[in-house]
Amino acid sequence: MAIERFLQPRASSWMSNDGENVDIAMSTRIRLARNLNNFKFPYAYTEDEALKVDKEISAVLLDKGKELKHSFTHISIQETPQLEREVLVEKHLISPYLAKGTHSGSVLISENEELSIMVNEEDHLRIQSLQSGFHLQEAYQRANELDSLLEKHLSYAFHEKYGYLTSCPTNTGTGMRASVMLHLPALTMSHQITRIIPAISRLGMVVRGIYGEGSEALGNVYQISNQVTLGKSEYEILQDLENMTDQIIQQERRAREAILSNSPVVLEDRIYRSLGTLTNARLLTTEEAATCLSDVRLGIDLKMIEGMDMSILNELMVFMQPAFLQRYSDKPLQPKERDYARAKLFRDRLNNEDVTNNRGEDFA
Amino acid sequence: MICDQCGDRPASVIVKQNINGQMTERQLCHVCAAGNHNFNIVFEQDPLAIHQLLSNWFPNQQTSPNPIKKEVAVCPSCGFTFNKFLKLGKFGCAECYEVFESQLDEIFKRLHNGNSEHTGKIPASYGSTLKIKKEIEELRKQMKSSIEQENFEQAAKLRDQVKALNVQLEGGASDGN
Repeated sequence: MAIERFLQPRASSWMSNDGENVDIAMSTRIRLARNLNNFKFPYAYTEDEALKVDKEISAVLLDKGKELKHSFTHISIQETPQLEREVLVEKHLISPYLAKGTHSGSVLISENEELSIMVNEEDHLRIQSLQSGFHLQEAYQRANELDSLLEKHLSYAFHEKYGYLTSCPTNTGTGMRASVMLHLPALTMSHQITRIIPAISRLGMVVRGIYGEGSEALGNVYQISNQVTLGKSEYEILQDLENMTDQIIQQERRAREAILSNSPVVLEDRIYRSLGTLTNARLLTTEEAATCLSDVRLGIDLKMIEGMDMSILNELMVFMQPAFLQRYSDKPLQPKERDYARAKLFRDRLNNEDVTNNRGEDFA
Repeated sequence: MICDQCGDRPASVIVKQNINGQMTERQLCHVCAAGNHNFNIVFEQDPLAIHQLLSNWFPNQQTSPNPIKKEVAVCPSCGFTFNKFLKLGKFGCAECYEVFESQLDEIFKRLHNGNSEHTGKIPASYGSTLKIKKEIEELRKQMKSSIEQENFEQAAKLRDQVKALNVQLEGGASDGN
């Protein structure tokens, strides 16, 4: 089945470790929301309309996507088992909302997993472009190219004053949400993050934890994104976000230096304890694994730990999640069993020399 | 004074909330207030919980027993009323934007830092003249910031693009329809 390739515990290209400032800015994401004329939006349409929208958009993408030298794989959400949907969510290829399968929906994924197009999410069409590192312009370019191609073949709902019309008024205008995933251990340890978050929200941007519930930033991974989509062009939104992200990266660097010069031994101890836990533990909860992963990442960034490939850590952050673990155990796992499978995953990946490519047959 | 949330018990607590410099005040009973204790931590809220914000801003529309409603706008295409839009925090279709237009500016300004007009990308099919005009505007902005950043090479490139677009505009927008 075509979906198989996307379910493998194989690194998507956004999890690789290329790009500027990649030690702090882990990945970049652009999302464009679009709706078609002549169809009601997903909160109001009938299942019949949803089906038509799904067919129309999917057909255009499969047919015209080639013009951009991408070949897309079409995955119907309702035909996909729940666990596989969750795997796609954990890989950031679809949203939890689409995974619910409220309506006939689809996702079309490019072969390198950098582009995914959700059909019948909260809007008819959501173009998503993912990339490793801090590359807002490039990620936007890719999404924009696809958008410009689609608009030739689909009639978009567009308003002279309000721009692209979306279900949610928070997306109206450009329909664009741009975000950067940031690893901010030093700003978190020094509690500076609690001052930064409210300050940023006053500037039309928002910072929040990306994994975990609510405000808890699992593994010290945060996401900064624009909130304003109206009255600013895509270019201005990207510029503002880029400037703000740059500043946060610099602050994180400064905080790291401060911690390193004030309490180097305490920091080193913490980092090596975490490394010890990840490579030896027999039971690992998501929370503990995420915390230790963050410490080890920091250890690599600060050159305290050498000879460990950062992309493995990026992959582990994704593959240690419940759906992945269960899929590769070939059975549903109780939380305790998951903790065991997770610990084994870490030991296998981190203790083995040749671990970068295409393994996964011996999960759990 | 009755609780704003349950509309049942007497209000005993005032909850003030500051979102983007916008103060809202709600009078709650002790039960609802306890359920809302995370109110002062704005960033903890799900960003999608926009319907909460909307009903905070338009409280009179939410408590519906008041029979003197201004007008009951119903979208003829999808059947959404303005109240339903507020409650859900979502539009039902493109036409909703026209039907509720008189009330939207205020909403958009609060959501988008005072803005209510799109200045970004325009689909090519949407009328090439408008597109070109807006593009020129946008390129000029980029040119200005390039100059500020002393990136003159980039600024020169942008200037040439503006020139080319102006020629197109005078030539009667030859591309598209």
